[in-house]
Amino acid sequence: MSFLNPYLLFGSLALAVPVLIHLVRREKSEIIPFSSLMFLLKVPKRSIRQQKIKNLLLMALRLLILALLVGAFARPYMTQPANPVANANSNRGVVLLLDTSYSMRYGNNFDKLKSEAQRRIDSLRAGDRMALIAFNENASLVSRPTSDKNALKAALDTVEPSFEATRFYEAFALADRVLGEFAGDQRQLVIISDFQRNGWNRSSRESVIATDVKTETVNLAVKDWTNVGIDSVSVDQTSFTRTYSGRLIARVHNYSKDRPVEVPLSVTLNDKEVGRKPVTVSANSTALAEFTGFDLPLGFSKGRVRIDAQDPLKVDNEFLFVIERREKLKVLVVDAGKPKQSLYLRQAYTSTAELPFEVTIVTGSAVTPEEVGKHEVVIINDVPRLPDKVREKMDELRKTGQGQLIILGENAEIAWWNTYAKLPVKAIQRIFVPKDRGRPSVSLTTYDQNHSIFKPFKTSTRVALNSAQFFAYVNVEAKPGAAVLAKYEDGSAVIVESANADHGLLVFNSTLDSRWNDLPLKPSFLPLFHEIVRYLSRYNESRGWYALGEGIPVTAGLESVAAAVIDPKNERQTLGNLTAGQTKFFTPSLPGFHEIRVGPDTRMVAVNPPASEGNLDSMPPEDLLASVQRTQGESQRAGIFGNEEKDEYARRQMGWWYLLLIAFLACMAEIYIANRAYKTT
Amino acid sequence: MSRAVEQTPANRFIDPKVLIKIQNLELVARTVVEGFVQGLHRSPYMGFSVDFASYRQYQPGDEIRRIDWNVFSRSDRLYIKLYEGETNTRVLVLLDVSGSMNYGSGEIKKIDYARILAACLTYFAHHQRDGVGLLTFDTDIRVHVPSSRRRGQLLTILSEIDRIQPSEQTEFRKPLRFLAEYLTRRGLIVLISDLYDEPDNIIAGLKALRAKGNDIIVFHIMDNFELTFPFEDMAQFEDMETKRKLHVIPEYLRKQYLMILNEHMERIRKELSGTRIDYCLMDTSKPLDMGLFTYLAARSKSV
Repeated sequence: MSFLNPYLLFGSLALAVPVLIHLVRREKSEIIPFSSLMFLLKVPKRSIRQQKIKNLLLMALRLLILALLVGAFARPYMTQPANPVANANSNRGVVLLLDTSYSMRYGNNFDKLKSEAQRRIDSLRAGDRMALIAFNENASLVSRPTSDKNALKAALDTVEPSFEATRFYEAFALADRVLGEFAGDQRQLVIISDFQRNGWNRSSRESVIATDVKTETVNLAVKDWTNVGIDSVSVDQTSFTRTYSGRLIARVHNYSKDRPVEVPLSVTLNDKEVGRKPVTVSANSTALAEFTGFDLPLGFSKGRVRIDAQDPLKVDNEFLFVIERREKLKVLVVDAGKPKQSLYLRQAYTSTAELPFEVTIVTGSAVTPEEVGKHEVVIINDVPRLPDKVREKMDELRKTGQGQLIILGENAEIAWWNTYAKLPVKAIQRIFVPKDRGRPSVSLTTYDQNHSIFKPFKTSTRVALNSAQFFAYVNVEAKPGAAVLAKYEDGSAVIVESANADHGLLVFNSTLDSRWNDLPLKPSFLPLFHEIVRYLSRYNESRGWYALGEGIPVTAGLESVAAAVIDPKNERQTLGNLTAGQTKFFTPSLPGFHEIRVGPDTRMVAVNPPASEGNLDSMPPEDLLASVQRTQGESQRAGIFGNEEKDEYARRQMGWWYLLLIAFLACMAEIYIANRAYKTT
Repeated sequence: MSRAVEQTPANRFIDPKVLIKIQNLELVARTVVEGFVQGLHRSPYMGFSVDFASYRQYQPGDEIRRIDWNVFSRSDRLYIKLYEGETNTRVLVLLDVSGSMNYGSGEIKKIDYARILAACLTYFAHHQRDGVGLLTFDTDIRVHVPSSRRRGQLLTILSEIDRIQPSEQTEFRKPLRFLAEYLTRRGLIVLISDLYDEPDNIIAGLKALRAKGNDIIVFHIMDNFELTFPFEDMAQFEDMETKRKLHVIPEYLRKQYLMILNEHMERIRKELSGTRIDYCLMDTSKPLDMGLFTYLAARSKSV
């Protein structure tokens, strides 16, 4: 028997109160000197005893009433079903949870798992049913509940150790659903696992396994385990130079609690070793190994970091990564040929060799459509007008992915630019702030924080756009469909983006030569114009590697294309057609290099098994079971009962009603006896 | 009464208020015992005394020395002088000094009450030129001052009364047996006690004394709480004699206690009246002088 509100049982301490009062008063009862007890002692004992018995009976009754009330409020219920004998004779329904996470590759753990599962299947009696669930990061039903031992064994043969991490909760959740199919049977759950501590997230998980399920654990955890693995590799995925100038840092983790290790670590690129060094890692610690300065071919290079460690878990001794060497982004700046007009722009994009930009500057009168076509991004830096052919070419190139930024300033002929139908704004007039607005300057105060060109200002407070002062600008009005990305404090637009149909055109309405504003002199200038060019070129840095189980984004360009993934086994997995700009996520199931094909583009991603699985520290199975198995109270609160079960549980909880009834009868008896005693006295 | 207690030890117990009331009465012994000192008690016997009563003619057999020769010389007849036999009675105050006498629910304890009573009687008797003695007892005889009419007797007795310290249990058999053996002359015995002993013991002892011709007055000193048992709360009652403790819930025991007490008193009263022993219940909550007055008034009527 147990209680739904066990804390209310503390109320039974109240029982001690009358007894304590009796004892305290007895201890402290007044001593009255009396001349002689001669007559008192002659009072017949019988009457005193009768009185005592009456008093004791009254006290016992009152204590009983109190105890019954406390018991009733604590809501007692029977933990055993009303017909346990019937259940004992019924068939068993067994769910076998098989841990297939990659930690089971340690030594011959997986063989042990299989032989234990085999033994369990063999021990099934006629009429018993069993289901097999394999779990790692996900849980999957390997075999539905069946009594067919051969089918179960066949299903067991298909179970292989994965490269994924352990997650117990999903396994228990699925087991609970399967156990639900064993209604009326004696339900049993057997978990065969190494009970890795990492597999259980203790935070706020509700218990999933029903109270009446008999649980059993087979613990395959190795006591004195040892493991060295590579946790992660930090690498710049993209390089714009032939020689890799970034840093490649590999982190080696020694999970052993007491033994330091020294392992040789090597880095290979396209199966060619580019670095090697020994790494010493103290016990239960990590060490870093750094490499740089190796040559990169154009395109994707497959990289591997490997340690030659003699531990029984080999999976984490190798770590894959990908580096892409790209050509620099070609940016064409077209200006009016004024001195220093594009000085700040050029400096912004070419100040260091590592910057992925290559800038060409021409004047508006000299620019040709061919020149425009050679670049990925074109910046029209405040020119009076453009040759019509160039303007038409630009319209055409935008469709193929070219990004364009048009800067309207003091040189721009407003009337001419207003004839350009594709321009997302209508220029109205030049505004000289001191004269027209009656103030020294205006600032850029409002911007669309979700737009990627403002990403640096969203994440950092060091650079702020509003520090720049604008003394003059071309007042523009955004056309329908165009998006105003930034505004001055007086509400007029600063940066306007063309409508989605004509994607890839931005308009900035002040100059970049520090005459109309001091933006080029502010720290916010560089990040803003870097991000504008990155955005316009759709330049997207991907990651050097992903962990198994993570979703890898696959995004289409400007056109609808078919996407597919070639996995490490060279098997093609189609992702279907992607519409322009659509992103799909692909979740790899194998570690290794995956080739992602989106239309004509191909990129390479490296996928590694999750590093957390390398820590083989195990938890006591009892702790895990205690966390996942419901108590009676939880079961009731969760309301996880069928109608029959509900009736059964309701019956088991009827105790409080009986207790109150008995308490009522005891009250009646108490009143009767107390009244009689009172009348007698 | 308390003012009297503050006086000098020798006469501290003599409450003037009490004495005023008592002096209006005469303490007359029921039984005239032989005595040779002039007193107020009229003797039914003629005898050797100092107060002339009358003459009678000489008869052969009379003592020649009792012939009044002066009358003979004047009348030539032989007359014998008869004197009124004025005798003193011997009053012995038996005072119970057992532990139970130390009980008192109010200002006055039973022993104090008994002391005053004893002192009053002693003084009174001494004033009447009776021989006065004192015997205090509990389980045994503690102090015994034999009866005497000596000049300092009153002070001796009063100082003995003053020194009384109640302590032991009550045991009537032994002191009363001692008295029955010891007292050779008849007299008035005043027993002042709470009579916490078996009635048989008390009655047997007193009967023995009565059989020897003594006149006996029993003052039964009881506290009002003993008579009514008004206690309410449960408590441990401690026997002042034996120190034994008893948990008592008064409301349950009162009825039976009072019944047993009344039976005890009734039996003593009956037995004593059967042997012509006077019994007077003195409630310490009632004024002492009223008790004495009532008793002595009744006593005087009966003589």
